[in-house]
Amino acid sequence: MPAFPPSQNFIPPVGLLFPSSLNRSKPESTTITAVMVSQHGIKLAVHLISSYFGDVVSKVCECLLRRGTLTLAQIVRFTELRKQNVVNSLLVLGQHNCVQAFAIQQEGGFGEAPKIITQYIVLFDNIIHHMRFPKFVTIVSEELSKECEEIFEGLLQHGRLSVNQLVDRHKQTSNQSGGLYTTLDALQDSFNRLVNARYVERCPAHEPFLAPPGDDETPAKKRGAKSAKVFDVSSQMAEALETIEQRALAAASPMASMRFFIDADTWTDVPGKNSGENPTSATVGEKRKQDSLELNGDAWATNKKKEVLWRVNFEEFVRRLRHKPPKHLFLIRYQRNKHSLGPDTGTQPSRNVRTRLDNGAGIVLSAILEATRSEETKVKMENSDLKNIIGMAQNQEVESIVLKKYGREAYRMFRLLSKAGRLVETDQISNTTFVEKKDAVKILYQLWNDDYLQMEDLLTSWTPRNMRVEIFWLEGLRNVVTHGARQSQFLLWKVNKSTLWVQVLDDMFHAALNLKLRIAYEQEQEKEIMQIPREKLVGDLEKRYKRFRKRRIVLESSLMKLDDALMLFHDF
Amino acid sequence: MLKMQIFCALLVVFREHLGNTLLVLLLMFTLIGMSKRKRPETSSLAQSLVDAERVILKLIKSRENVGLWKGDIKSETRLPENVVTKALTSLQSKRLIKGVLSFQFKNRKHFIAAEFEPSKEVTGGSWYVDGNLDKHFISSLKELCFKIIQKHRVITGEGVHDFIKRVKATTVECTSQQISEILKSMVLDNQIIEVKSTGLAEYHSIPLGKVCYRCAPVGAVAQDTGAGAMASIPCGVCPRIRQCTPDGKISPSSCIYFKKWLDFDF
Repeated sequence: MPAFPPSQNFIPPVGLLFPSSLNRSKPESTTITAVMVSQHGIKLAVHLISSYFGDVVSKVCECLLRRGTLTLAQIVRFTELRKQNVVNSLLVLGQHNCVQAFAIQQEGGFGEAPKIITQYIVLFDNIIHHMRFPKFVTIVSEELSKECEEIFEGLLQHGRLSVNQLVDRHKQTSNQSGGLYTTLDALQDSFNRLVNARYVERCPAHEPFLAPPGDDETPAKKRGAKSAKVFDVSSQMAEALETIEQRALAAASPMASMRFFIDADTWTDVPGKNSGENPTSATVGEKRKQDSLELNGDAWATNKKKEVLWRVNFEEFVRRLRHKPPKHLFLIRYQRNKHSLGPDTGTQPSRNVRTRLDNGAGIVLSAILEATRSEETKVKMENSDLKNIIGMAQNQEVESIVLKKYGREAYRMFRLLSKAGRLVETDQISNTTFVEKKDAVKILYQLWNDDYLQMEDLLTSWTPRNMRVEIFWLEGLRNVVTHGARQSQFLLWKVNKSTLWVQVLDDMFHAALNLKLRIAYEQEQEKEIMQIPREKLVGDLEKRYKRFRKRRIVLESSLMKLDDALMLFHDF
Repeated sequence: MLKMQIFCALLVVFREHLGNTLLVLLLMFTLIGMSKRKRPETSSLAQSLVDAERVILKLIKSRENVGLWKGDIKSETRLPENVVTKALTSLQSKRLIKGVLSFQFKNRKHFIAAEFEPSKEVTGGSWYVDGNLDKHFISSLKELCFKIIQKHRVITGEGVHDFIKRVKATTVECTSQQISEILKSMVLDNQIIEVKSTGLAEYHSIPLGKVCYRCAPVGAVAQDTGAGAMASIPCGVCPRIRQCTPDGKISPSSCIYFKKWLDFDF
């Protein structure tokens, strides 16, 4: 691994998050999209799509994840699927908010008029959210009613629905389960509660048109089009592409004032509702595209009947989860200690500065939630504290990995370097952490080999007579021959959080994928048992069933716990 | 011996023929001759040894409290090994130099001039004994410091040092610097946390802004190993994670770590 002089900033090539020269086994991103996704992030997303929608759809999804924003023709070419299959796949992905289409003007060739082409952006975060649907359902169930939960599940299941479709679904579900049919008013009330809680929102426009940059007079719709985490890529090309996708997402989003707006006519055209008025349809797009995608609403999505479509607002759930202290993250303990100051914070005694978090902190954090709910209200101080808290939780997650994997001495050394935030020499590390020098070197090399640390080599050369010191910066560990005199080699170590965090995130995606695959494997192994009615499971069969059930609980609960950590590094 | 016998025989013959005075003169000249003949053989060896000692001693003194080990002395002075060895032994016996085990290289002894105290680079500092880290002493001190902090709830580094001195809790005197190093190490172990005093409530006896220590909250990482999400699953700490693929030799379905983990009686 090459070592760089401290003054040089490494700039990764366009399209790659981690160049192979920097690190042997770092994950590489193979696409420049609004979200740089690691290898295992892509694999996990593909697996989720495959298990929900099948292999054909997952192939289209993978193509977009690996190659970035593409047109229909490009997708057909790269996937080698039939055009209709690709179109259907894109419809499914669009329906489930995993892909966003947009139209741009492309300059024609010599003598040709410019033409309008449609491109597709994959929404990686929304794909990964499929893994945490149970968490979202739990939040709705705890905070709202059973009816709200039922509506919410419908939206998760179908991706996007109009109110009519919600009502129809409710009728079908009630008939099938033999349950009581909720009155329309009650249903409306439940739906309104979901929207008022910001858990449900209007769908963005299907295919907004992006005017060329020079002609774009309308300001981007104020939503703060979320492109999840955008990694720092200093390339101008990457920035330009990023802007197109961000512009597309911003253009597709309904205006902030309309996003959660339920107009008076939303329910009037629902059968059974009293209304003599014609329903106010949402704005209908004027263009009908040649592929069979749904009609484009200028401001938000509507279906063929011009009904407004609604979907789950994932952003709100991410915000809720960010502020909810997860039980297993015991380090997220919030002590409302008014009388102590943490080492990294200010020294004003009147300020409540948290040194650790515990479960009692929900009160303060929910206050932060309410205060920051409105986009106009910025509570900078509390946001800064939240950022510190999240940073601490991230540190502690990685430290626990180091402790379990490499032992206590490695843990101590890693914490020292993590806190120092700079290069530290081996002897200093060994002295401060009370580790024998030869052991310290071994452990540090092991951590470096597994990409937890960066290493630089400082060579000094001196002659006894004049004590002239020459410093050589080395690349990697190649021996450098110096002239005459003695030489001393100093190894310097550092934790580079920006690269390490991305590596940890990729490892988390990998681990999540492994858990899902193992769950599928266990289910496959015991599928015969699952088909036998419970009352017939006796003796060995019962033992097998119980063992399978225990394993599944362990795997699924581990996955949910891992997902909390994943959100810590990716979404928070 | 043979020469002495011949000499004595000659003396007897000469006494019979020369007389006593002449015999005494002859004896004197003989003795002078013998001593002169002897001196050239022993003096050059002694001289070379003294020269070597002088050179080596000068070299060692030039390195002050760092000293050198034998290999370095040989290469610097270019003297043969046996000369160096003898010189070093002689200098040590004369108490002009002393040997100190290096903490970095266990099989090396550094020779330092007697008037200098060996530096930390050689001995490793106050925590090393005979070149080895005194782990037992360190862990005992840590335990003691933890108990003191537990008892006081919040206390400064100086407070811990003063307490230890007052109650004579250790057989060896510890400096304030040493206690500070121990406490820093305990912070890294997450046994204790470092905070700054506000001067209020339980901090009332500690000046505002002064660094002090308290026990880490229950459930901190160091006390509950593997409690992080990744550390709780086999993949999180797997040494083969980079070789693991869905369909490869190492895969989630064939993984032995997974099997052991799932077979564990939860």
